[in-house]
Parts: sequence; structure tokens; C-alpha cells
Amino acid sequence: MRRSFPSILIKDFKLMLSSRFLFLALGSLILYSCYINFIYIKLDQDIYPVYLYDPMKTQIGVSSEVIRVDTLEDLQAQCADGHSVGIDVSSNEPEVIMVTSGITSTDYFRAAYALSLLSPESSYTAELIGQNDKEMKNRREITSEFLFFELAAVGFLGLASILFKEKQMGVIRVHGILPVNKSAFIISKLCLFLLSDLVFTGLLTVINLGVSAGLNVLPAVLIQAGILSLIMALVGFFCAVQLPDFKQFSLLYLVLAIFITTPVFIVGQTSIDWNWINFHPMYHLFMGMKNAYFATSSAGGSYYLACGLAIVLLFLLVHWALTGEMAKEG
Amino acid sequence: MIKVKDLTFSYQKNKEILHGLTFSVSDGEIFGFLGPNGSGKSTTQKILTGILSGHEGEVEIFNQSATVNLKEFKEKIGVLFEFPYLYSNLSALDNLKYFASFYPVKNRRDIYELLEMLDFKKDYLKKPVASYSKGMRQRVSMARALLNNPQLLFLDEPTSGLDPSGAVLFRKIIEEEKKKGTTVFLTTHNMVDADLLCDRVAFIADGEIKALDTPKRLKEKNSNHQVEIDYLYLGKHTTATLEMTEFNGGIPFPYEEIISIHSKEPTLEDMFIHYTGRGLT
Repeated sequence: MRRSFPSILIKDFKLMLSSRFLFLALGSLILYSCYINFIYIKLDQDIYPVYLYDPMKTQIGVSSEVIRVDTLEDLQAQCADGHSVGIDVSSNEPEVIMVTSGITSTDYFRAAYALSLLSPESSYTAELIGQNDKEMKNRREITSEFLFFELAAVGFLGLASILFKEKQMGVIRVHGILPVNKSAFIISKLCLFLLSDLVFTGLLTVINLGVSAGLNVLPAVLIQAGILSLIMALVGFFCAVQLPDFKQFSLLYLVLAIFITTPVFIVGQTSIDWNWINFHPMYHLFMGMKNAYFATSSAGGSYYLACGLAIVLLFLLVHWALTGEMAKEG
Repeated sequence: MIKVKDLTFSYQKNKEILHGLTFSVSDGEIFGFLGPNGSGKSTTQKILTGILSGHEGEVEIFNQSATVNLKEFKEKIGVLFEFPYLYSNLSALDNLKYFASFYPVKNRRDIYELLEMLDFKKDYLKKPVASYSKGMRQRVSMARALLNNPQLLFLDEPTSGLDPSGAVLFRKIIEEEKKKGTTVFLTTHNMVDADLLCDRVAFIADGEIKALDTPKRLKEKNSNHQVEIDYLYLGKHTTATLEMTEFNGGIPFPYEEIISIHSKEPTLEDMFIHYTGRGLT
């Protein structure tokens, strides 16, 4: 293995270059960074407009964000958009008016937010264990999401496209008669994609969080990125070896994107709460990535043990599939 | 070199592909393995090259079981596939350097010498394989098979995709390998290759060896011992077929000029059909 590994690595790197994977990764890096820096953080993220009907003028010192209306009908009309929240204090006790979002937790949040604007000075105090401004929070959030998407989807496609090329050329079968360790064939590709993903992660993090904040979270982020990169590369490897052509692979890719990663994004991004999501392995990887960006770690030893086991099992599965592919008709 | 006894193999339960093959190949012999598609010759070759495991029966190569020390075994064999499997984005030189890296340095042959021997166009040495003709790719594939100076060479349709002069060159190279003591296991549909190159041939059909002998003896065994003579008599072109016994005392009929005399010996293909009941395609 020692003798041939550098050759396999160089050959895979040349294949990677010819498949333009690195250009794709560079393009993604530029696109994501431009979007984060020039669009996302400048988006007006005022959440729910709050309207107040207070005919007796009993509420003094309300937040300047609150919009006063003159009639109850007007208040109801403003809240009919399904987004805004109204407060009716005509009967002294504040009564919240809104169109329900359909999600109980979101409705609670909207009501609490609206009521908090009635007396902004009496805000609670909390023990601050870290500091985030709104922009930094947004940067961390969107960067973690883009990175997760890039590693889960684009990396997965990248390795598969290289392997399909090798399959089409028939050279995988040639390796069946060479004195080559099959593990070296797999590890070489994993190493290259891991390296590429880690460089991508480092650049994306530092560019979009800034050098200081980026370097601060980078070790934890790199660990999560490494885990996700290895898992996705092995899944991509297995699918590419097992499926006959790229068309079927693309179909599988769509199924993966729609049915596997979408629920993860929905639960991770909104306040929708599905209990079954705890059994979804990608959800834990997504949250692991997000927590790494916010420098909070909820993952324990069992998480890392499960990831390690998954990587070993996937590696064995890929080894088995590769042996089968090498034995195909010569 | 190769000893195979009662070799059976099944891809699925109750679907046996090979039904107890028994044959042996001596050191330095060119052994032809002839059969139609689906006859089991590729499966046999995969078992012999160590790609496929799970067979029953004995397979002994280099005086040891084919499954023992696969790495050392693979360092001693060379395989030419029917199709030229190469990295199309790399040049011939890069392909051969890559494949050579798997073999011990002491076994490696000089890539430039190999390509020169195979009459490879030097202008294309550093161009990507994607720009090569099929014949050029086949030459690079042959160079790959010979890279490690193999003691045992498996060739699958070696002259496929080559023009007549290329086919002659390949046959010459195979014969030179034999002279060096290399054993050659040749799988082919091409009866000309088999007839010209092989010391012995085995006809395989439906997973069984139907006949095994030298091409000459196979033909002799089934010869009808007839001679066909084309001649001119009274200004007219005539053809006569004689039994060899009739021919012993000279030509037993009047003639003005003999145009040609041919023995009506069967071809190897005739023999294949005779033993297997079908053609090679």
C-alpha cells in the first residue's frame, strides 16, 4: 500500500481536476460568501409587526416599534395578513389578536413578543454566557446551513461523478487484477475529498464570520465537517458503485435531497417540532454543525461513537461493493 | 503452471455456470480457451486471475492455491482485457506509470521500450488516451499487461480492434513472450489467432470442456483425408476430389496442367462446431 498509495492519490487528484470539482467548490464558496455578505445580513429581519388598539391611552412607554390604530376594525384588518400581531387594550387587560400560524409554539412566541413591546423597559435580565449581535448570529446561522448543504449535497455528487467516470472507463475492473489494496483505492478518494471539504470549511468560516470569530469556532466546525464529509463521501461512493449509471444516481440524489435533508432543514430552521426527527441521523449532523458554529456543544460521547461506527460500517459496505464491481465482466 | 480439477462455480444457487472443468497448462505453453459468449470462459478466467472467489474444486497456479497470497500472485500475472480499459484523461505514459507503480521496481519493464516494441506512435505519448484510436488503446493495454514481466499472461481477444499488421505484431509479441518462458492463457473467438499461436486449445461450451488437444491433432482426428485438385484438361477447368489413398501413387487421371492441390482438412472452427454443436458467436 505504501508503494502505490501516492500514485493513486495523484491519479485521483488529476481526475478531480478533470471533473472540475474544485472549480465547482470554488464557485460555491464565492456564491455563498457573496450572498451572506451582500444580501443575507442586509435583509430586514424585523419579525412580526405589532399593532395596538388603545382608545383610553392607558399604555404609556410602549416600544416605538408598536403601531397604534384607531379602531378595533382597523386592528383586525391589519392582523388579517396572518403575520402581524394585534393587541387590544380597550378592556384594560391586553388581548392578543392574530391569525394562527398553525404552529402552537410559533403563536406563543408571536404573542410573547408583541406583549413584550408594551413595556420594553421591564425586560428580564439573564446571565449572559456569551455575546452575539444580530449580524453575527445571522452569519453563523447561514454559514452553518450553507456548509451543511455543500458537504451533504455537492460533496456527495463530486465523489460520485469521479467514480462514474472510472466505471465508464472500466478501470475499476483493471484494479481487480493489480496487486493493489482495495482499501487504498477507497482511502485515497476519501482523503482528497476530506481535504478539499476541510479547506472549503476553513475558508467559508473565516470569510463569513471574520478571522477572530471564525478561528474561534473553527476546530469544532472542522470536526463536524470532517464527520459529515466522510459519511457523505462513503454514501456517494457506495451509491455510485452500486447504481449502473448517472441517471439513476441523479434520481437517488433527488430522493435524498427531498425526503432526507428537507425535514432536517425544516425542523432545524423553523419552530416545527417533529418527535421522529430525533431518529433521523442527518438531523444530528445538522445540529452538530450548527452548535459548532455557535460554540455550544450538545453532542456527547454517544454522538461521536455513533458517527465513528457509521463511518466504519459504511467503509466496510463500500469495500464489499467495490470487490463486487471489480469482479464484473472484464 | 495451472492445474484445474473439477472446477465448479455458481453465481446463484442451483445455477451452476461451470460443471467440473479439469485441465492443466504447462510452463511456457500457449493455451487457447475457446468458447462462445456465455460458455463460462470469462468466469474461468476470473477465477484463475483471483478476481472471483467462491468456487469449488481445485485451482492451483504457481504450485499453490489461487486464493493463497493473492498480492504476490497478482505481481506475477499480466492480464489483457477484451476492451482497452485505461484512464482516458491521462496520457499513455501517465497510465503506464500509474499501473507500474503497483509492482515491485525490480519487476518493472521500461515503458518506452515496451511502447516502441508495440509500434506506438511517439507523438501521442503525452496526449490523453481519449484522443487515441482503438488500436492505439489496445497497444497501451498490451503494454500494461506486460509491464511487470509476468510469468503468466492472460489475454482476452488480444487482436480485437487491430488492423492486420497490428494483429501480426501482437502475435509476434505473444510468441516472443512464450520464447522467454511466459505461459499464456489465451481466451478468444478468433480461430486464426488460436490456430497460429496455441500449443493446445480447449473448446468450452455450457460450462464444460468438450475437447482439448493441439489444433493439429484436433483437425487430424476429424479429417476426412481428401484432396481437392484443380486442373486443366482439353482446355477445360475441372475440379476433382480424391481420397488420400487414391492420391498415393500420383494423380490417377489424365490432365494437361495442375492449377492447385489442397488437402480438405477441416478448420479449427469446423472442429469447434463438430465438438460443441454450434459456432463461436
